[in-house]
Amino acid sequence: MTLPLLALVKTRTVLLDGAMGTELMARGLPWGTAPEAWNVERPDVVKEIHGEYFAAGADVVSTNSFGGSALKLAGHGLGDRTYELNLAAARLAREIAPAGRYVAGSMGPTGKFLKPQGEFTEEDFAAAYAEQARGLADGGADVLLIETQYDLREALTAVRGARSVSSLPVFVTMTFNSFPRGFFTLMGDTVVRSAAELEKEGVGAVGANCTLNSEQMVGCVRALREATALPIIAQANAGQPAIGPDGRVGYSQGLEDYVRFVLEIVRSGAGVVGGCCGTNPAFIRAMARKLREESS
Amino acid sequence: MIKDELLRSMNEAIVAGDKGAAVALAADAVRSGANLLEVIEKGYVPGLQKVGELWEQGDYFLPELISSAEAMKAAMAVLEPELDRNKIVARKGGKVVIGTVEGDIHDIGKNLVASMLQAGGFEVFDLGADVKLERFVEKAEIVGAEIICLSALLTTTMTNQRRLIGLLRDKGLRDKYKVLVGGAPASRKWADEIGADGYAENAVAAVKLARTMIGQG
Repeated sequence: MTLPLLALVKTRTVLLDGAMGTELMARGLPWGTAPEAWNVERPDVVKEIHGEYFAAGADVVSTNSFGGSALKLAGHGLGDRTYELNLAAARLAREIAPAGRYVAGSMGPTGKFLKPQGEFTEEDFAAAYAEQARGLADGGADVLLIETQYDLREALTAVRGARSVSSLPVFVTMTFNSFPRGFFTLMGDTVVRSAAELEKEGVGAVGANCTLNSEQMVGCVRALREATALPIIAQANAGQPAIGPDGRVGYSQGLEDYVRFVLEIVRSGAGVVGGCCGTNPAFIRAMARKLREESS
Repeated sequence: MIKDELLRSMNEAIVAGDKGAAVALAADAVRSGANLLEVIEKGYVPGLQKVGELWEQGDYFLPELISSAEAMKAAMAVLEPELDRNKIVARKGGKVVIGTVEGDIHDIGKNLVASMLQAGGFEVFDLGADVKLERFVEKAEIVGAEIICLSALLTTTMTNQRRLIGLLRDKGLRDKYKVLVGGAPASRKWADEIGADGYAENAVAAVKLARTMIGQG
């Protein structure tokens, strides 16, 4: 019998996967195509990527559904296929997951704003996330991972949407920028306020992902640790996008430099770690090695 | 001569993002026959500059920036018809065509830049997101724009910023427009590499850059 993911977090550091979109692009996903479409059109490719992350040592893979909220899919004309594409996303990850490993249903931001900055109500957002959560839950996700949130109000709305259709544990990562006065989301939400509000909403774990590189993430995790007793998730970017000598776009923080900070992230209080933009299975393999060294 | 107190109230209305106050003060200025250029340049514009400073130092965030830009636009909507009626030419920022490049549906950053440019006095033609490259050129030609702003959030779609410059070159229009690029993966180095005229890291910097481009820096 597999421990629930939240129980596992209490016993040891849990390893998540890394980037999905760039892996799909590397396998031919044309720009402009919704990555979620490939859950149905090219399921073999999506499974292969999940398989590589599991093989690299990830305990948890996140489904290919980052842009799978009904509102985001609507931008690709796929809004009415939200349930189907998310169901497929979770099923694919479930099918390839070895025994004892986990599937997190990825739920990224809608890309829209609530009133007054935007035109949407909290009810609109909750419904868009609920439809996604329903697909992910029915497809066999172990937890729902609401990620890369830049607006605390949207994150809270997403949690409520997920809760309205599913009893799965909900994890939330916000994306913070580093300022002289501390870490803030795009909307100005602080780490302290984000953690407090999300904790009050009953989420299972909170954290930070994207935007920050692994060195900056150390400070952000420290701030989170001071703000909450919940398990903390940290998924840093591999630096900033940069143009390589071959003219291709890569990320500025190389693998060695990236993983150098992994143990510090863990020691600062993160119980769930993984990668974000610019990372790939090789990063996760290197992180797995670091974590093994630490625990042995 | 307008009372300093009134100019200060205008300034404060923009800094506070108080659209109602910004509009009421503008209407008062029109009614009292005040020098509207002075109202704009000494009352409202410094407020927007202050907002930019607060944003850049991390005291203001997106909601405040949007509120202030909206207050500014609302005040200008009251003042501009009066300027036109009196044949007064305000310092115009020029025409900008802006959009997120094709293949990319992310538009938060682009919308913010468009809003700030508009608040900063530019005439903005926003083509939206996932915009075919040809449309940028067509629109710029039709409206007689000086500047084309290209946004991209993805490392995979930013290459379309490079393609647009190639497209302008092919059409023999490269020197006719200033091409500015932005978005999370873009950088000054990227702009140099693809031969763009400039890169701005954020919406406030974008307005400054656009001003420099048209010789108002």
